[in-house]
Amino acid sequence: MSEIPDNLSYTKEHEWISLQDDGKVKVGITDHAQDALSDVVFVELPEIGSDFSKGDPMAVAESVKAASDIYAPISGKIVSINEKLEESPELINESPYDFGWMVVIEPDGNLEDLLDSGSYRELID
Amino acid sequence: MSPIRTPLFNHHKDSGAKIVDFAGWQMPIQYSSILSEHKAVRENVGIFDVSHMGQIFVKGPETVEFLSYVTTWDMRRQKDGDCRYCHILDGNGFIIDDTIVYTISKDNYMLIPNASRVEDIYDWLLKNSGDFEVSIEDLSGDYFCLALQGPEAPRLLGQHLNTTVSSFQLVTLDKTIVSGTGYTGEKGCEIIGPLDEVIGHWEALVDMGAIPIGLGARDTLRLEKGYLLSGQDFSGNQTTLETGYSWVIDWNHDFVGKGALVDLKNSKYSKLRGILIEDRGIIRPGNSVFYKGEKVSYLTSGSLSPTLRKGIGMAYLDLGIGESVSVEVRGNHLNGRVVQMPFL
Repeated sequence: MSEIPDNLSYTKEHEWISLQDDGKVKVGITDHAQDALSDVVFVELPEIGSDFSKGDPMAVAESVKAASDIYAPISGKIVSINEKLEESPELINESPYDFGWMVVIEPDGNLEDLLDSGSYRELID
Repeated sequence: MSPIRTPLFNHHKDSGAKIVDFAGWQMPIQYSSILSEHKAVRENVGIFDVSHMGQIFVKGPETVEFLSYVTTWDMRRQKDGDCRYCHILDGNGFIIDDTIVYTISKDNYMLIPNASRVEDIYDWLLKNSGDFEVSIEDLSGDYFCLALQGPEAPRLLGQHLNTTVSSFQLVTLDKTIVSGTGYTGEKGCEIIGPLDEVIGHWEALVDMGAIPIGLGARDTLRLEKGYLLSGQDFSGNQTTLETGYSWVIDWNHDFVGKGALVDLKNSKYSKLRGILIEDRGIIRPGNSVFYKGEKVSYLTSGSLSPTLRKGIGMAYLDLGIGESVSVEVRGNHLNGRVVQMPFL
C-alpha cells in the first residue's frame, strides 16, 4: 500500500505539494506515482526563474520504459530545483516525499483544487 | 480477439508483475524493476516465461531441402542437435521474421518464430512448400518456452534436469527440448516442452534461485547485445544485409529472396548501426537522428543501457563507425556517436 503523508496536499496527477513557512510550495511525485513509474533513470527539471500555469508540463521523469510528464500543480515561478536528481534520479523512488522532491514554486495566487490525503487515497484505491 | 495468457499468468500476478499486452498476449513486463532484473541476468540467473514464442514443426523426407529454400541458411550444413539463427525472407529479400531453426533430426525440424509472426510464418511456409515432401504443423499452442539466462544458468540447469547443453546445440529429454540459446548474450538455455509441464519447471527453477524477468529487461538485455527485435528493427521493409546480419546468409545455396540480396550487395545501402549517447538523457524508438544538422534517420530501438548507464539505440544510417550524430528528444539534441555493436 502506498504511503500518503497526512501533512501534504495532492493532485489528481499524483504530485504532492508541501506549503512552506515562507509561502512557497515544494513539489514532488507521490509514492504511488514512483511505484507506477518504477526505476526513475532520468529527470528533466525546469529552469529556475521559469513561469508555469497550473497544468502545464513542467518536468519529465523517465523510467527505462517510458517518459512521464510532471504537471505544474499550481501557477507560479520556479525558485529552486533539486539538483541532486541529475546525478541520482533514483532518489524519487527511494524517498519520494523527502530527498526526491523536484521543485519549489513561488505561487502567484491561492492554492486551489488540491486534495487532502484522504481524498487522494480514495483516488488511487 | 481476447488476450491470451500462458499457464503461468497467475504466478506472474502473484509475484507482483506488471502485465502488458504483447502481440495479443498478456505478459509480464516487470516483476520488481527492470534495472534489478537486468542486473540479475548479467550477474546471476534469471528465468523468462516466453511461452508466447511460436513452435512450428517441419517434418518429412525433404525437410532439409525445404528449409534451406525458405531460410537464409543451408540446412545441409546442420547436424542433428544443431541450432541455427537465420532469417526468413520474402521475394524482395525483406525479412519476414528471424528465427532459430532446431535440427532435432534430419527429417524433424522446429522453428521458433516471434509471437506476432507465427501465423504469417506458418502461412508463408505452407505457401512455399508445394514442391517439397514435407508436413508443416503449428504447435505454438501446445508448447511452453522458458529461458534460463545468466552466468549461473548452467548450474541451475544441471541441478534441475541433470543435463548440460552447449551453445547452439540442443538435447531432447523425452518430450522436452533444451537448447543453448537465448536473447540476452549470457550463458544459458531455453527449455521447450508440453504446455502442461511449465508450472513444474518454473516453480522448481525459481525455488533454486532463478529470478523472474519480464519483457522490459528482456528488451534492454537484447539491445545491449545488438540483437534485432522483430517488428521494430525490421518490420517488412528491411533486408538481412541492411540489418548487418550478413553472417546468417549462406550464399552457396538458393533461397527465397537471394536474387534481391545479390543485387543489393553490389550497391550502396544503409546499415543498422549502434548509437551511443554521451549526453545525459534517454532515447526512445522513433526519435529522429541528426548528422551535421540534418535529419538522416530515426531510431528503431532506443533505451537506457542499464549496464553502461548511457542511452543506446539503433538506426539505419549511411554513416561509418565513429561519426558524431545527435538524437532529438523533446526538442533537445543529445550528442552521441555511431559505434560498433554489440554495445557490450
